Amino acid sequence: MRKVSLVAILSSLLVATALTPARAGDMTFERALSADKEPQNWLLHHGNFAGHRFSALNEINADNVKNLRLVYSVALGGFESGGRYKFGNLEGTPIVEDGVIYVTDGWGSVYAIDGTNGRRGGIKWKMDPGTDRAWAGDVACCGVNNRGVALWKDKVISVTLDGRLIATNKATGEMVWERKVADPALGETLTMAPLVVRDIAIVGAAGGEFGIRGYVDGTDLNTGKQVWRTFTIPGAGEPGNDTWKDGKERWKHGGGSVWETATYDADSDTFYQGVGNAGPDWDPEYRPGDNKWAASVLALSPSDGKIKWGYQYTPNDPYDFDEISEHPLVNAKINGEDRKLVVHAARNGFFYALDRVNGSFVAGKQYVDELNWTPGLDPKTGRPLAYDPGKDVQVYAPGSHSMRGSAASHTCPSHFGGKNWEPTAYNPQLGVLYIPSIEGCNALETVEQKDFVDQGGTIKPRERFSGGGQKTTTRLYGSLKAVDPATGEIKAALRLDYPNYSGALATGGNLVFLGHADGEFTAYDAKTLKPAWSFNVGTGINAPAVSFAVNGKQYIAVLAGSRQSPFVVGLAPELKNTSTASMLFVFAL
Amino acid sequence: MGLRLAIGVALGVAALAATPARAQATLSPEEARTLEYGKEVFKTKATCQYCHKWDASGDQGYGGNALSLRKTQLTPEQMAEVVKCGRPGTGMPYHDRFAYTDKRCYGMTRDDLGKDMPPAGNEFLQAREIDAVVKYLFAKAVGRGASTYEECVGFWGSDTRECEPMRDAK
Repeated sequence: MRKVSLVAILSSLLVATALTPARAGDMTFERALSADKEPQNWLLHHGNFAGHRFSALNEINADNVKNLRLVYSVALGGFESGGRYKFGNLEGTPIVEDGVIYVTDGWGSVYAIDGTNGRRGGIKWKMDPGTDRAWAGDVACCGVNNRGVALWKDKVISVTLDGRLIATNKATGEMVWERKVADPALGETLTMAPLVVRDIAIVGAAGGEFGIRGYVDGTDLNTGKQVWRTFTIPGAGEPGNDTWKDGKERWKHGGGSVWETATYDADSDTFYQGVGNAGPDWDPEYRPGDNKWAASVLALSPSDGKIKWGYQYTPNDPYDFDEISEHPLVNAKINGEDRKLVVHAARNGFFYALDRVNGSFVAGKQYVDELNWTPGLDPKTGRPLAYDPGKDVQVYAPGSHSMRGSAASHTCPSHFGGKNWEPTAYNPQLGVLYIPSIEGCNALETVEQKDFVDQGGTIKPRERFSGGGQKTTTRLYGSLKAVDPATGEIKAALRLDYPNYSGALATGGNLVFLGHADGEFTAYDAKTLKPAWSFNVGTGINAPAVSFAVNGKQYIAVLAGSRQSPFVVGLAPELKNTSTASMLFVFAL
Repeated sequence: MGLRLAIGVALGVAALAATPARAQATLSPEEARTLEYGKEVFKTKATCQYCHKWDASGDQGYGGNALSLRKTQLTPEQMAEVVKCGRPGTGMPYHDRFAYTDKRCYGMTRDDLGKDMPPAGNEFLQAREIDAVVKYLFAKAVGRGASTYEECVGFWGSDTRECEPMRDAK
């Protein structure tokens, strides 16, 4: 009787809008929209829908951070080899709800870690999805990656490298359903944390080096079925398809992969998705034209995937300036006018501020130390000044990229970026965006791309489709830059010993946390960027930190131990003997 | 440039006789074990396949423009030297921990090479590992044509879809 009445009361409290009703403690769209009101939790991949990666918690601050200490660590798995890789990476952003920390390893296992007692992280459950490692790992361009989960109702939503979207029971770890989204048979893989808007999970396929045609894909989480798919490379008759001027339908293998989580603006019900490089990466003569929407941002509707507008950063990109990384949403007063901006620290070395309502260019400024591919951006349009509208195949600054028959290039920033996938963080109290980046130059060598078998050539699906190769023989370094997001003006800059592949966390304690390839996990003063505290975890860090609180006590958590880039370690002898691990580290005062 | 040319010539000459792969049946248990050991180095420990592809047919992309070892003209001795010392001026890494600390590689040191210094491999290898990986490559890849479905299953095992496209193409 008592049981029945409890159920009845609970049911009456629910708004029965969906097949799976939300229960107390479940993740709802309303909670996601106001994630900032739950600073004790880290509910969304980028902290909030606006992509700020900011925790308002301020128990740990610039004055007392020197007392920050390791309180517990948890050993994870994901060491298995597969495909081209010796073991999985750790690039994930933890999601934290009510003291339970949800993380993934590179092969897509999800771990629910109970951090409620504050001195030990017990693994409540582990969901191993049984990824086909050889099948998927052989078509992963850059490592065995998984950047984290999303919460929805009473489920944990995650992806696997072999192309599946999975819903797992949050309480028990039981896999409830899975849907095949991406197809490794076509060179497609999934590595990004899903973006959940209402009841739709949005993911996209990686594979820009394997001749895919990229897309963003929406799944109805109530049914586990696809509701829409929007290709980033427009098809015949669609706007932008005429920017593929080869006349041989090469847009069908045109790249434009998607592998980092979008930002979302509820006011206009729009999500902002960064899009990867055109394929093949380094043979622009294979694909004359601007190659939309590669190297771009798209503003889309989450209900139907319709494109509202697009903005392309590097037309006919010969560099692999893949722009999948986050596009934070910032409001600012510009010339006395309130503007809604979407901003982006681009892999091409420029910071961009766009009007997020219509996609018009507002501001752009170089943020990397060295940039040689264009003298600057057009102040009205943001187009690279070296762009020639009369040419189908762009020749940006000569020698900054390779062409058929030409020598290796000297490319600055290197094709790695600028900023790669590793996310920025934005402190709204200070109005400053923190850009962790990769500094330095490298070389690109074009090899004339052969056609795919379906277009009369010899290249089979799953084979590399990059139109050449890269060569990195000079040591790269990194930087952390504090930037005004309305203008791109650099307010403070710090040189880092290593290119940054981990991403930033900003906190209300006026700190910025950043992990490094040598295992240093460092807190910087948000205003001066001076290191305020550092701890060496003994293995390289390739993941961004998060902050949360349990019983009023603030914690900082970060995954560490990823396989390090051979182009970092191979040129840094002092890192040569660093071992890979697979760990979660949690710090507190 | 002259330096690179000289090394290139040194590596490219000779290779008088292609070493035909010996039939499996004639292998002693120890020889068969060596090939498995070499495969493990190629596949996992040194992850040679990251750049050269699983069948050693060469590849492009983030691993650079890696050459086909199926079509190589190198002798086993020369290949062992390249694994040990890398290829100066290219992305082919060296795998002898002490390469270029003395004159063991092409008679040159790190200072002699300057900008042409190749990167270090992800893992350093002992002489017996280099010997095994070269034996593996000469048994399974060098001098062979396009790879087959059977070779694919032999490399990856049958509990993956990795080789399905090759089977379906038959």
